[in-house]
Amino acid sequence: MRQDQSIRSDRVEVEPGEAPAGQSSIGKTPWQLFWRRFKKDKVALVGGVVIIALIVIAILAPLIAKMVGHGPNELFDSATNEFGLPVGPSAKFWFGADRSGRDVFVRTIYGARTSLAVAFLATGIATLIGVTLGLIAGYLAGSVDMVISRIIDVVLSLPLLLFALGISAACSVSKNGCLHGLVQPGLRLVVFIIALFTWPYLARIVRGQVLSLREREFIEASHSMGAGEWRIMFADILPNLAAPIIVYTTLIIPSNILFEAALSFLGVGIPQTTPSWGRMLSDASNSQMFTYAWWMMLFPGLFLLITTLAFNLVGDGLRDALDPRSRR
Amino acid sequence: MWRYIIRRLILVVFVLLFITLITYVLFFVMPPTDPAVLFAGKHPTPQVIAQVKKNFGLDKPFYIQYLLYVKHIVLGDQYGWPGLGFSFTTGKAVRSLILEKLAVTFALSVGASIVWLLIGVPIGIISAIKPGSIYDRLGMGFALFFVSAPVFWVGLMFLWIFWYKLHIAAGTGYYPISQYGVFTWANHMIMPWVVLALVFAAFYARMVRGNLIETMHEDYIRTARAKGISERRVIMKHGLRAALTPVVTMFGIDFGLLFGGAIITETVFNLQGIGLLSVQSVNNGDLPVIVAITLVASFAVTFMNLIVDIVYAYLDPRVRYE
Amino acid sequence: MRRSPKGSALFVFGVAALLIATACSSNNGSSSSSSPSGAVKKGGTYRSATSSFGFVGDFDPVGEYTAVGFSYYQMLLRTLLNYTGQAGAAGLVPHPDLATDMGTVSPDGLTYTYHLKSGIKFGPPINREITSSDIKYAFERIDSSSLVAQYAFYYDGVIQGMQQHSGPPKNISGIDTPDPQTIVFHLTTPTSDFPARLTLAATAPVPQEVAKCFTKPSGGYGNDIVSSGPYMIQGADQMDPSSCSTIKPMSGYDPTSHLILVRNPNWDQSTDNLRKAYVNGLNMSIDSNVDDIFNKISSGSLDGSFYEIPPPTVLQKYSTDSSLKPYLHVDPQNTTYYISMNLLVPPFDDIHVRKAVNWIIDKSAIQKAWGGPSTGTIAGHIMPPSMADLGADYNPYGTPGNQGDLAKAEAEMKQSKYDPGKTGKCTASVCSGIILLNRNEPPWTDAEAGIVADLAKIGINVKAREMESGAAYQTIDTVKSGAQVGISMNPRWGADYGDPNTFAQPLFSSDSLIPVGTSNYSMVGMTSSMAKKFGVSYPAGGVPSADSQINACLPKTGQDRTTCFQGVDKYLMEDVVPWVPMFWANQVTITSPTVTNWAFDQFTGFIALQNIAVSNTATP
Repeated sequence: MRQDQSIRSDRVEVEPGEAPAGQSSIGKTPWQLFWRRFKKDKVALVGGVVIIALIVIAILAPLIAKMVGHGPNELFDSATNEFGLPVGPSAKFWFGADRSGRDVFVRTIYGARTSLAVAFLATGIATLIGVTLGLIAGYLAGSVDMVISRIIDVVLSLPLLLFALGISAACSVSKNGCLHGLVQPGLRLVVFIIALFTWPYLARIVRGQVLSLREREFIEASHSMGAGEWRIMFADILPNLAAPIIVYTTLIIPSNILFEAALSFLGVGIPQTTPSWGRMLSDASNSQMFTYAWWMMLFPGLFLLITTLAFNLVGDGLRDALDPRSRR
Repeated sequence: MWRYIIRRLILVVFVLLFITLITYVLFFVMPPTDPAVLFAGKHPTPQVIAQVKKNFGLDKPFYIQYLLYVKHIVLGDQYGWPGLGFSFTTGKAVRSLILEKLAVTFALSVGASIVWLLIGVPIGIISAIKPGSIYDRLGMGFALFFVSAPVFWVGLMFLWIFWYKLHIAAGTGYYPISQYGVFTWANHMIMPWVVLALVFAAFYARMVRGNLIETMHEDYIRTARAKGISERRVIMKHGLRAALTPVVTMFGIDFGLLFGGAIITETVFNLQGIGLLSVQSVNNGDLPVIVAITLVASFAVTFMNLIVDIVYAYLDPRVRYE
Repeated sequence: MRRSPKGSALFVFGVAALLIATACSSNNGSSSSSSPSGAVKKGGTYRSATSSFGFVGDFDPVGEYTAVGFSYYQMLLRTLLNYTGQAGAAGLVPHPDLATDMGTVSPDGLTYTYHLKSGIKFGPPINREITSSDIKYAFERIDSSSLVAQYAFYYDGVIQGMQQHSGPPKNISGIDTPDPQTIVFHLTTPTSDFPARLTLAATAPVPQEVAKCFTKPSGGYGNDIVSSGPYMIQGADQMDPSSCSTIKPMSGYDPTSHLILVRNPNWDQSTDNLRKAYVNGLNMSIDSNVDDIFNKISSGSLDGSFYEIPPPTVLQKYSTDSSLKPYLHVDPQNTTYYISMNLLVPPFDDIHVRKAVNWIIDKSAIQKAWGGPSTGTIAGHIMPPSMADLGADYNPYGTPGNQGDLAKAEAEMKQSKYDPGKTGKCTASVCSGIILLNRNEPPWTDAEAGIVADLAKIGINVKAREMESGAAYQTIDTVKSGAQVGISMNPRWGADYGDPNTFAQPLFSSDSLIPVGTSNYSMVGMTSSMAKKFGVSYPAGGVPSADSQINACLPKTGQDRTTCFQGVDKYLMEDVVPWVPMFWANQVTITSPTVTNWAFDQFTGFIALQNIAVSNTATP
């Protein structure tokens, strides 16, 4: 289900064949040059500021909740009428209330925690796996490359959301989840699913980069000086890949934020008591609540949009700085 | 060329076999619910559960079940070819169920893809002609917005604004042509088409722009310009051809992907397509339907990949298959 | 009767005098009987939609065990005895249908004899007179295990010679058909509610010439049901029964898209005083989006809803707008929605904790999540008013406004061994990380936050786990996986019998404890040896049992029986405390102005399709 919009975002452009991701510039371009170019990109800087602000909000969420005086799962009887319909934005509830009588503002703030935590964690795990396997496949080549590449192909052609739903259903039954308790229902499950379907993209890119790097002179030199395969891979090649990995990781984060939101929207893993933007939007769409309580849809959606937009801006900026040819 | 196609087709078959195997392992070996128990009624005796298992073909070892499944796909079963078995929840042949739902998904995909090509490609071209201009900024602003916006949110917002508030669009639900006529059908499809298309349009706009700008710096374009050909002709005749070739690739793959069902769009707009069917069958533990959807979806992707590669050979003379 | 995926909870029939009318008056919305004066006009079609048929037996009467299925069967099938299709207590009293009278019982209570009315024919394409052997054949089908009859336990072991066997249906020694109009049942043990069991659809006459072709439920007889009632499946007359290979599914039924019923030309009103059959037919389509169904009703393209609960926005609109209020129909069903605590799982193995939970839960918030007072009456105890009414006054954990009482909950918690410091909070380590099982659909999800927050107030910290309704049931009806769940808010129970025992034995007796498929989710009456057998751990303090209390009531009849079961309800609420009863549900149906005669069937708990009238001119 890569197509289904939400989760695809920049992935397509990230594929090695299409993105000109500066094979030529790596190695030649010093970090300073890269940073200087990035600093000139005002729009990207704004994106960066927004991201920092969101991280601060996420960290300070409990403090903000305290100031407002409402907890994220605190219920207010006065916030719903006799039919259980929530009140709209007011001085008491800035973003209105939801069906359970909870403060949408406080939950939206807390939602930043869920979104960012899941996206960072999942992207981190995916990067770790993707870079390692990509390195191995690209460098060792031959049958190892063959096996890893086929696995990547298969994972990429699976109907993503269908499998996510299936894994989620399978892992939700027992108290300890599945894989001996490693994957527990809730956020862990969501992180697992996102990482599982994200690493192949990075592995492909890294593999492509390594294929071109391994023929270069400095690798030859290392070889002749008797360096071992693993040393060459991780000490010589990996540092040269740092810049593109950072760029693509940045570009994958917003798509993973949308992925998390899509999974929560479909009710995978995250329970109703965990504040998550996707889950809040799902509550808004249930029983077409948004026709009555538009605030349940508007605010979490706006925050979600601002977050992905900021990451996309920074990602684009980083890519342009890395490879000036692909000016926006 | 033919040898290449046949080789690729064989590969497609193996990938599909492998994917059904994975699906089987995921859904049959670690199922969320035991379908036999689910359909055995209240206070089932162990004998009744065993009987339901037998009726569903779940009494045999896992690998036998899988081999039988593959056999039925190849040779067909009592419901025709390819044999996909019957649905546990409805007792209906999965083959006809899939075909029925595929029609909806097909209507959604075709309509949406026309819309996204009509929006995305022109925006990309206009932006690329004068990079940095106000049109470029507007176009890329649009693209960035819809690349970042979650589809389910856009869908809900559209419903709220255009259906609920302004009453200029029809609400959710699928209204088959056979029952309601073309007008009602299309009226209810417009918003899903547009919403699904916007994200794609954003991508295509960005891609077309990037490709076209790059192409316009190529030597042969400079040569064409030097020959005094009008800028308009340079772009239309030489630039676009090269810039749109990758779009064809993308389009093929995206179109194939949509056959797995646009789960979110179908959920938001309540279109009874493959996507909604897959959500329901996962919920109900309707294993034969899940496996069949996976099969159809993966087949569409791999098959469209093949088609794209062949088309590519005609469009881009540099590509040759041995 | 809780197997259906979405809405259909129950069907109830019974002999006890019921106080449904009283319960009804406390609800807003229109009364259940809004029949206009004057003659009701025949014709038109009831056009409705449902999010899913939710069938569990592929619509074959032998296996279909959902109230929703029973609603359709009321149009399609006739049984020896049946109901009048009306709201209230009268709707639960069996009347003769195919039978000429209520039958005769031998003095020892072991032999029941019924005579059939003459001149009643099967619908097309069979068109022949219905005989007693067609009814006997229906019983024979119940025992053919490959057909997976879902409520065979009402007959197996009760009628002589009835037990499950493999292979096709075969003769049952305990059922005699001395002539085509007479059928005699020989029972193994006196069963006072036996006549009520003859109202269930599995006992409706089945023509062997068609049904013998189907040995499996899937794609089977459910697609080709031969009518005995006022309606038949559209296309029934096109079906060719000349041989098994020529029988194709009737066009009017497609499990994934529609059910269309039209008049059965062979049905004769003069033989049927239970069904009015005003409408010319039924058009039920599938629309998985409940909101769309109600949008279509308000726009007039549908005539009314079926089993779906209207969303709160719709409820508010129809409750507050006086021009719409007549189209809101609120009818009490006989279902209890409840929170079940597992008596094997700490800290719920301590009765003080269970009582504290009963004190703390805010039931009014739960009612709000469902959409307000019209969706149900807050339950003060286990059995709904129709079963063994203890009266609204009996509510051992009643709190002001039903909003819960922290002080009383804490006082109870202080007596618990899990609160050694007498803090009023559950402080032991077992009080955290407990699984709260829930369904993954509204309104269950909307009620979740409140229950989680309530439990946290007394130190019980739960992790909510949301599952599809079938999966959720399977988790707690399997003893082993149920033991991983401390507390579950997903279940509801609707009685199969008007008899209060249907709210006792299946739910709280140790007889009901089976490894898979138990309905005693709280594990009441579990012994340590059983626990060992099932492979679950057993609490040191033991588990209370209600066996002796329930068994004492079983031989009783009449008012004695009702009183006795009231005692069971009290005992359960005060000395066992396995549940937090949330509310007794109402069925809320919305119709469009085209529905000119409203009728509610207390037996199915839904709209009485056989007795409503519409003013539209639509053809099915």
